[in-house]
Amino acid sequence: MAKRREQEHLLQQASRQQLLGGRIDRREFLTRSLVAGLGMAGIGTVAKSSLTPALAADRPLTPTFYQWIEDLHPSIPKVNAKFPGLNYQIAPVEGFGIERFVAESKKGESTWDVYAGQTPFVEMSAMIKAGVIEPWDNYIPKEVIDDIIPSIRAECTVDGKLYSWPFLLDVITMGSHSGITKKAGVADIPATWDDFLANAKKIQESKAAPFGATFDAHGWRSVAPMAHSLNSNVYTSEGLFDFTSDQAIAALELMKKIMAVSHPDILLEGASDGGVNGTPDEVAFAAERVGYQVKYQNAPLRMAHNWKDPNQLRLGPMPKFANGEGSTVFWTTGCALFKHGKNKEKAAEYIKALTYDRQIWKDSIAGTETGHPGQMPPYKSVYAEWAANKPDWMPEFVGLVRTQLDKARAINNHLFGLQQFVIGKPIWETFLKGEEPNPKVAMQKVVDAVHAEMKRAG
Amino acid sequence: MDQSIASTGFGAPPARRPKHRTGRVDRLRENAGSWLFLFPAVLFFFGYQVYPIFRVIWISFTDYQFLSDKPAKWIWFDNYIDALSDPLMWSSLWRAMYFTILFLPGCIILPLMLAVLVDRVKTPRLAAFYRVILLIPAVIPSTLVFVLWKWMYNYQVGPINHLLVDTLGIFDLQTAPQWLGGTPLTLPSIAIMEVWWGLGYHAIFFLAGLAAIPKDLPEAARIDGASEWQVFWHITRPRLAPIMMILVVLRFGSAMAVIDEYLIFGGFNRATPTYTWTIYMYDEAFKTGLWRQGLGAAIGMIGAVAMMIVVLVLLRVFRPKD
Repeated sequence: MAKRREQEHLLQQASRQQLLGGRIDRREFLTRSLVAGLGMAGIGTVAKSSLTPALAADRPLTPTFYQWIEDLHPSIPKVNAKFPGLNYQIAPVEGFGIERFVAESKKGESTWDVYAGQTPFVEMSAMIKAGVIEPWDNYIPKEVIDDIIPSIRAECTVDGKLYSWPFLLDVITMGSHSGITKKAGVADIPATWDDFLANAKKIQESKAAPFGATFDAHGWRSVAPMAHSLNSNVYTSEGLFDFTSDQAIAALELMKKIMAVSHPDILLEGASDGGVNGTPDEVAFAAERVGYQVKYQNAPLRMAHNWKDPNQLRLGPMPKFANGEGSTVFWTTGCALFKHGKNKEKAAEYIKALTYDRQIWKDSIAGTETGHPGQMPPYKSVYAEWAANKPDWMPEFVGLVRTQLDKARAINNHLFGLQQFVIGKPIWETFLKGEEPNPKVAMQKVVDAVHAEMKRAG
Repeated sequence: MDQSIASTGFGAPPARRPKHRTGRVDRLRENAGSWLFLFPAVLFFFGYQVYPIFRVIWISFTDYQFLSDKPAKWIWFDNYIDALSDPLMWSSLWRAMYFTILFLPGCIILPLMLAVLVDRVKTPRLAAFYRVILLIPAVIPSTLVFVLWKWMYNYQVGPINHLLVDTLGIFDLQTAPQWLGGTPLTLPSIAIMEVWWGLGYHAIFFLAGLAAIPKDLPEAARIDGASEWQVFWHITRPRLAPIMMILVVLRFGSAMAVIDEYLIFGGFNRATPTYTWTIYMYDEAFKTGLWRQGLGAAIGMIGAVAMMIVVLVLLRVFRPKD
């Protein structure tokens, strides 16, 4: 009851301020006052559309996070503590679903002010198209925008505007189990795919491990980065991945060769998040059954946490084709600003504090008792600071991943940025399973299927 | 007629009412109290059941795309034609039906057998103990059940493959069964999990039915020389038929419309056996392009109509014969 009275008072105050500020007229003010005074749930529901903005105007900063971010980064609450009254929440986005955000936006509302968990190529285009988010440009300080690594800034930018404030950086790299590679007498970090395959074969033949190498079969984690390792200029004029390019065909053939030295379940879907996480490559690497794993750096780090000796993990750049440019794929998980959210200046202040917080980066990179995500910051100044004065907790892989980033390229932002790989996967797998002998035929079918779905979508 | 009953509004109107219209008004007045009490349930029924169904039917005839700001346009049967001409619609319906065929016998026959066995336990404490054991899976939250079985079925570190590969040596690491994630074993594996999960819950239905059978019937049959099988087939089974019908219809509906398990075990890979019409509907409505909810609604309606046809057949097959 006391809480309701407090809410009524807040509502009255908010409405009064809006009346004095000329944002609402007397009629609206009286309507709200009546509703607040009556305090009846039924009338409140009827008048919800006019009440929500008034309540929202006075609400505290309300960020919402994808659950895994909180799980992997235990220092976030420490940053939150610096913002008294912050209404920190977990987002209803299981399996990258943004339905709730879109539904609220259609009504011109948003329960939250900022969402931490947006991966540009996955859902940013849809969020922009649906009018859910707005650019950060009016709120992000200029020194911050200039501090973002250029390739990351490009990833987060659409039509010259920054729609994602980058937070956690992942780059497709390579992890190896030095206990296994040592036993097999092969290098921890092979430079080329030929060496990688030869080493993986030796691992199996020497019985150092049951399997030589593995990868995550989802296209944005395998086909795309492997294609980039030959040449990252692999996108069509409409912004889609060019599945029939020489790079994509080479990547597919490479995947088939890796499968010959890998675990039989490599192509199966994962066990969580709609099949995209908890994938068979992670299980094999965590169970110390495979020598090499190609994936974003936080995966081998997390998996090695299950080993008897996690210090046996080695991380390095993804191998390249003998004549390749040695690029890879990266993405950031960033923060989106809700168009119908509130507290936008405060949101910028909070996200700046969050993304520059040194404790978060130390915990992420060096690991804590609860986990070791290894995700890295998006800012030039942070790396420069570490280069000038290397912290004693800094592992070697940070430099390697940072170097990869100079060559890496993000997957283009597109409404079908992620979906093209989801649609294509079962089709290109016909080649990997031997059902279709010609990789070009398989990839042409992928292109046809993606175009057919785009045509259907209008 | 007892006046006190008539005055509650539940009895027949008094015979001396002069005019038909007055009688109707009076009846309405007398029933007003009942309608008042019924109002919340009626409101709920129309708000949460009837309205969404008609809304989905309406959407299925439009080109409504959730992410688009264009107003929905009436396009008649285009979405239905689009869906029905897509081979994915048929294959996804067949996958759901295949799962139901795998699941339904297990969720009827096994609990029935168990219930008959538990019903024969004469010691009350032991009978209660068996009932509790049976109900344990039913009270485990779905998330825990899925996590447990995902681990059980894991190709590399799951206990089932550990038994088959490391303990019994029937398979090696290259040939071990791939239970989940898109192989032909996926749907049977999920069906086994579902049967285990619902075993106790379904057995309780049959136990309730068995308790309602007069004990002298089977005893008289036994005295007349009937075998246990004859007692079951001619006495127990016909009296459990109504419960069987309810279970078959309910579980048919839930098996055809499974979505959570498929999302968790198979994702959106269109070639996997778990990509059924429910996932197809969700994929089109919430994942692909501008989220074609018109098409998604049409897929949902087609699935619902297909289910209703089968339910009608089931009701006829399992109708009480006596």
